[in-house]
Amino acid sequence: MDRIDARIRAVRQADSAQTLLAATAVLATSDHGDSISGEAIACLVEVLGFNNPGAAAAAVNGLIRLGPMAVEPILESLDPRNYGARAWAVRALAGIGDGRGLDLLEEALGSDIGPSVRLAAARGLGQLRLDALGEPLRLAVQTRCLQALVAACADGEWVVRYAVAVGLEGIGLADFNSEHLRPASRQALLGLSQPDGEAVPVVRLRAALALRRLDGQPSA
Amino acid sequence: MAGTIDPDAGISAAGEPITEAEALQRLRQSEDHSQQYYAAWWLGRHRSRHPEALPLLLAALRQRRPRDPGAGVEENAIARNAARALGKLGDASAIPELLAALDDGDDGLREAAARSLGELQATEAVAVLLRRLASGPAGAGAPRLDSPRLQEPCEAMLEALGAIGIAEPGVITLIEAFTAHDRPLIRSAACRALLQLSGEARWAEPLMQLLDHPQLQVRRAALMDLGAVGWRPALEPICRTLVENSLKLFALRGLVEQGEHHDAEIAIESVLNAMDSLL
Repeated sequence: MDRIDARIRAVRQADSAQTLLAATAVLATSDHGDSISGEAIACLVEVLGFNNPGAAAAAVNGLIRLGPMAVEPILESLDPRNYGARAWAVRALAGIGDGRGLDLLEEALGSDIGPSVRLAAARGLGQLRLDALGEPLRLAVQTRCLQALVAACADGEWVVRYAVAVGLEGIGLADFNSEHLRPASRQALLGLSQPDGEAVPVVRLRAALALRRLDGQPSA
Repeated sequence: MAGTIDPDAGISAAGEPITEAEALQRLRQSEDHSQQYYAAWWLGRHRSRHPEALPLLLAALRQRRPRDPGAGVEENAIARNAARALGKLGDASAIPELLAALDDGDDGLREAAARSLGELQATEAVAVLLRRLASGPAGAGAPRLDSPRLQEPCEAMLEALGAIGIAEPGVITLIEAFTAHDRPLIRSAACRALLQLSGEARWAEPLMQLLDHPQLQVRRAALMDLGAVGWRPALEPICRTLVENSLKLFALRGLVEQGEHHDAEIAIESVLNAMDSLL
């Protein structure tokens, strides 16, 4: 605990971009053992709002390592006036893959102005870890993820559509929803795999790969 | 590599969404230069197929004037954006006017014209490019006294020669001279062009070494150059280099889409898997 406290202090007392980055990287890769410090999470969340991309990226990695326990602090910190912090929060929630991030990921994929944020949201929506939810709720969440991804097949940036193909593959491969969601994700992937639906070759190739992977799986 | 990370386009990209009709109207009027500037960029970005797009962009290209460092260069900024857009429209009838722009006094316009002629794979441009680069690294490649730029926009011109694809001995010899230039960005552009023209792995080696260069700008350029060529043996070094994931994704797209031209032992699926891990 003492070491963690010292590392949190180092982040909060950093007086330059370089020292902030270094201190954040140390805190983000700390082994917290059994006693996770709420302060450590709060500190990493604060760094998302500091307008220091290197440090924010390190903090995102640290929050992803901490997993579900970081979700509430991230959601509570959301500040509609700080676009940068929000974008990093989307990346962290996409990486953690917790169902509580669904609203934010949906909204980010549909309307964020930053392609890298929409990309992270698409990736995240395809890999939410929903094993702990009961079947009806799980299906409801996955249906929303699928709808958001299908809508984003029309995104203006190829790299977002690429991530959408990866997300659709993730939804389609999750075996518990094979009967309900696989046909719809296959259909969206078919659109992304054909020249009349998708202009960029690498997106078509990725969608075709996803379809082969879906077809290689037992379908029920 | 300034063409792919275009500072001018970045400003325009932040503009609000408009329709094609609105873009054409903004380019047609001449009261508000910033509107024309944005419209020219917009038509290129969306690769407009509208019959009026080409004549309006050519008119905007003609709107240029001799560079006067004391005055605003707003009209030349429009001409530069128009030159860039003409490359993206893919219509060869823009080539003669772009060729003329290669001899313009504004080196920024020469740069934009060279890139667009490369995109259009305009074989007619090879002779002019060779003439402008003929004095080699010590002439065309010498630093200017008034700015950090070189006498000629060598990077864009070398890249254009590679993209146009005429692998004649005279072209190769001239480009080879630039592989010894002082500036790593020029060496990178020269190696990229030689790799495109010859397909010889010895020109990929210096590019892969530049991926370890201490300057981020140089690593980015080498990365984008390897991507433009589609050099799949660079997959591992590209994944390892310290550059933003967004640029790595762009380069790996090149490895997938351009990589068929080379004897590629690395399968597309390996590149796609690498891209997935960068999302």
